Amino acid sequence: MVAFVILAILTLAGALGVVLLREPVHAALSLVGTLLSIAVIYVTLDAHFLAAIQVIVYTGAIVVLFLFVVMLLNVRSEAAIVRFRWLPPTVIGVVVVAAGVITATALIDPQQLPAPEVITSALGGGGPAQIGESLFTDYVLAFQLVGIMLLTGIIGAVSLVQRKPAAGGEL
Amino acid sequence: MVPTEYYIVLSAALFVIGAAGVLTRRSAILMFLSIELMLNAGNVALAAFARQWSSAGMQTALSGQSAVFIVLAIAAAEVAIGLGILVAIFRHRASTEVDELSEVRY
Repeated sequence: MVAFVILAILTLAGALGVVLLREPVHAALSLVGTLLSIAVIYVTLDAHFLAAIQVIVYTGAIVVLFLFVVMLLNVRSEAAIVRFRWLPPTVIGVVVVAAGVITATALIDPQQLPAPEVITSALGGGGPAQIGESLFTDYVLAFQLVGIMLLTGIIGAVSLVQRKPAAGGEL
Repeated sequence: MVPTEYYIVLSAALFVIGAAGVLTRRSAILMFLSIELMLNAGNVALAAFARQWSSAGMQTALSGQSAVFIVLAIAAAEVAIGLGILVAIFRHRASTEVDELSEVRY
């Protein structure tokens, strides 16, 4: 319950950031926070495969695409204002300490991985095998339609963005 | 186990915030971000209902998670196409403000 409250607060704070922040880049990074919180919410819902897919597809692909387009379109000429001079050394320090602690605990207390059956039961039915079985038996038509839609999307996006070759010129 | 209703409330709140973003933002890119919020709100509700069904021992307990998977693919395709359209508009108009894109209004 405590975890859910914390996750809900993080999710809603990120969502409010998406809606309220003025800079598009800040809004997109706020969306990353929301999407990562939602990935953890999927874990609390026993949907582990969805959590992994959420991180890979949403934060790994969709938000990166957003950031590319934001930086492509909103070319700001204002000089970069350095407001947080203390931030880079702090971040480096925290990362180094965290990596050291993780390495130390791994070296001090090495453990075997649990048996595959234990992992499977801990995943609680939301693993890739179960989702795959559901997708490829009950929802195979939807799955194939999604494939066709993605192909159409790829072709459409490429043809929309591609510049027309100059008259007489080669592409 | 957190009750399903709580997840539904969270999902509703996310959806409302996303809808408010779509209605209030002027830049088309930020409207797209808000649409992503709304899609994710739906996904959270679907995953919560999937857990509700599986804890009730239903045969098709993973329908909800499969639906989330398909919605994710749709969101990816929508973003690719939408941002492609945005880039194409920006080449003509040097702007992504939706208020200025009113040629096809009448």
